[in-house]
Amino acid sequence: MSSRWRRSVGELALRGRQRGECERAQEALGRVTSCFQQLAVSLGSSADGSFLRDEMDETRHLAQRICRGLSRRLLRLLSDCGPAPSGVEDRQVSERLWVLFLSALEHFLSDLRQAHDLIGRFPLRQRNDRRSLVNTGCMDGVVAVAARVASVQAPWLTMEEEQSPDLTNHIAELEAMLSEMQLRVPVAFWSVEATQLAGAERGGLEGLQEGEDSLEELMEGEGGSRRPAFCCLTCV
Amino acid sequence: MTIRNTLQDHGQRYRPRMASLKKSEKVLLEMQDPKTGLKSQPQRLVITTIPHAITGEDIIAWLADRFQVNTQEARSFGSMLVAFGYIYPLQDHKRLVIKPDASLYRFQTPYFWPTQLLPVEDTDYAIYLAKRNIRKKGILEMHEQEHYNRLHKWMNHKWDFIVMQAKEQYRAAKERKKPDRVVFDCQERAYWVVHRPPPGTVSAMDYGLDRQIDPNSDEAATPDFYERIMIFTQQSIMRPRVKSSVSIGALVKYCATYNNHDPFLSNCLPSNPWITDDVTFWTLNMPCVEIPTKMRVERWTFSFAELLSDTRGRDDFRLFLKKEFSGENLAFWEACEDLKWGKAASIKEKAEHIYKTFLARGAPRWINIDGKTMEVTVKGLKHPHRYVLDPAQTHIYMLMKKDSYGRYQKSPVFKDTVKKAICPDEHRFSGPQLEQNYKKRRPSLSPIILRQMEQEQRAKMAANIDITQLCRFTTPVPHLAVYSGFTDYPTATASPSLTFLAHTPACPSPISVGLDSTSVSERRVEEAEGDGNPAARAPVGGNVSRSRMALSLRRLLKGGCTPATMFASLSPKCHSAAGTSSRIQPIGPDQPSQAPPRRIGNFFQIKVDIPPECRIYPIESEDEEEESRAAFRGGVGAKEIICPWESLTTHNGTG
Repeated sequence: MSSRWRRSVGELALRGRQRGECERAQEALGRVTSCFQQLAVSLGSSADGSFLRDEMDETRHLAQRICRGLSRRLLRLLSDCGPAPSGVEDRQVSERLWVLFLSALEHFLSDLRQAHDLIGRFPLRQRNDRRSLVNTGCMDGVVAVAARVASVQAPWLTMEEEQSPDLTNHIAELEAMLSEMQLRVPVAFWSVEATQLAGAERGGLEGLQEGEDSLEELMEGEGGSRRPAFCCLTCV
Repeated sequence: MTIRNTLQDHGQRYRPRMASLKKSEKVLLEMQDPKTGLKSQPQRLVITTIPHAITGEDIIAWLADRFQVNTQEARSFGSMLVAFGYIYPLQDHKRLVIKPDASLYRFQTPYFWPTQLLPVEDTDYAIYLAKRNIRKKGILEMHEQEHYNRLHKWMNHKWDFIVMQAKEQYRAAKERKKPDRVVFDCQERAYWVVHRPPPGTVSAMDYGLDRQIDPNSDEAATPDFYERIMIFTQQSIMRPRVKSSVSIGALVKYCATYNNHDPFLSNCLPSNPWITDDVTFWTLNMPCVEIPTKMRVERWTFSFAELLSDTRGRDDFRLFLKKEFSGENLAFWEACEDLKWGKAASIKEKAEHIYKTFLARGAPRWINIDGKTMEVTVKGLKHPHRYVLDPAQTHIYMLMKKDSYGRYQKSPVFKDTVKKAICPDEHRFSGPQLEQNYKKRRPSLSPIILRQMEQEQRAKMAANIDITQLCRFTTPVPHLAVYSGFTDYPTATASPSLTFLAHTPACPSPISVGLDSTSVSERRVEEAEGDGNPAARAPVGGNVSRSRMALSLRRLLKGGCTPATMFASLSPKCHSAAGTSSRIQPIGPDQPSQAPPRRIGNFFQIKVDIPPECRIYPIESEDEEEESRAAFRGGVGAKEIICPWESLTTHNGTG
């Protein structure tokens, strides 16, 4: 009797640790994917180059490792959540993590597809191809982003070293992962609720002390007048 | 040659979409060429300098030179590029046009180029709005705030992810150098102006429904691919041809006629709802509005098809035909349309219905079509399909078009409508009013509700159907029994003209015709109407065994009638007081004194088994209903107009 109680306490503690692990991994994944997006934005522009593409690959691999680990752990967490001791609230937390991970996965997948399409269009194999890159005004700047990526830590990264697929296979692997997860565990998306109200993020970000100007004010430097908020009827 | 199919084009033609995107991208890449492309200049801002800005006039000049077109066209082309989002303005970023002066533009990065391949995700928009919220002075505009609230509601389950991602993206963007950060913000903002346009503007990427396949992608050369090409070209060969002078003339005529009626080419009164968000125009032109607008009435005079396709016009025309007592033509046409566009399962029943109501000899609303068409139609009805009534329908359509339509336009009904038609004044809205209108936008009635309303309307019309609408050419063979059965189908599904005889007013009984006392008939009518829907079924069993003689005597005494009897009796050929009975008696063993059934024609038989002395019997309506139900059920020995496609074997024996 007492051993059973002790066991369930142990289980609870373990599950809590696992959840914490997953949450940290989720944050790491968010960091990596947003850096990936910053890199992908420069694809095809004048800032494009082999350095950029290498960095993108690195970022991608990192994201892949996080995704693999996270999906495994989440599957484990949610499949054997059967026995009662975990309670409804714990289950809800786990489901929230699940839903967040799947959303992140979908989002990352769409970015990957976009990147795949762009790399296909701007292959950069020969010197002449550089002439067709679009002059967007971006010169450089991905070094710091790459550094940011490098600083990401996820709980299991050092442990698991697996092979890194190329872009097409990466996309296929993620798609398979997504569908597998959706099939294995039935989680009702609509039962998960946001923990924040609408607009809660307004102005609440740390590190914003340096007077951030809005884009309109920045662009005003040219002397262009501010247009009123509602705009005119014509478009094209 | 007339332009057809302007309203309901149900053809499945392959329409390539946005082929302009691929072409625009080629042009854009050409613009990048360091030697032959556009010259850029740096943009000086307060804090920094950003390269690669181009002026509007440079863009226009380059386009005019490259494509050898005039400035106006180059300007339109340039505006198109801006509208798609390939180039974005640095000042006045919400107006996506090219200004032919020194205003600055910049090229959009390929990541943010418009594409049909990957849809624009609401998740991304939510993240973008959240990012805007995070900035210290980020204010969302009205429509953005609305979007935000909506997305917060519908994406609630992934909202945590959205906020988290927004924060991460914000932080990641801050890692970049200042000029690049400004550029990225501009790019992102421009992207969302294109894909989530502010109110009053339309996104250039709004191209309608997505096709299943990307029309810009290259198709693999499989045997199936070539087979489709072959089928397409074979059908092209078989298409009838028209001289270009004729077809162009028709197009010109069409444009000239409809120019004033197009809401975008000319002024739409009171205001164009697509532009001003004010829906008065649509409310005034609803299908079942009491008083139509002048423009609408004018459209009815353009062609007969226009009149018929407009619900209000059709109602007006129906009213006119009612006064002329030729409503059965329109009713038949509508019934055929119903058959054509209805469910496959109901085709057989509807075809039978239509035959019994309009086509059979002695039908209550008999239409007058020529013998050959009638033959073809009746033959086709053996195996009814959707288009079996097409020849007859066309004939009636041309009849109405050539005959009734002309008279309609000269009739007092139409003139009255024209006089009453309204012409609303133009309403100009000021800027703030437009904002108000945008905020007050509401979705229109759901199609489910509209359909219910339509059905109620039809049921109401069916209930009011007026069989004083004598057909001018009523049954040519009056001494035959005519089955004027009751519809067993709910009135809602059939078009109003089909539900015919259940609630019929004024029909003088054959006797009263002779005696000339309409009061009796009116009383009868009230009784008849009081019976309500024949959907309630009386038990079949008891009626059949009733003594026929007793029944008919009782009926005789009560005095009543059926419409068919009235028709028959009023037909020019029938003078005898021995009117036609509309009752078809079930033949039972206890009726020795029956006339043998007569075989009329090769295709169908109408069995007449009325004892001659019982020819005249105005029938009490309740009995009538029961009888009809019994007969309709096709119980033993039940007789009715046998449609040619029904088997004759069961009735042969008792005949």
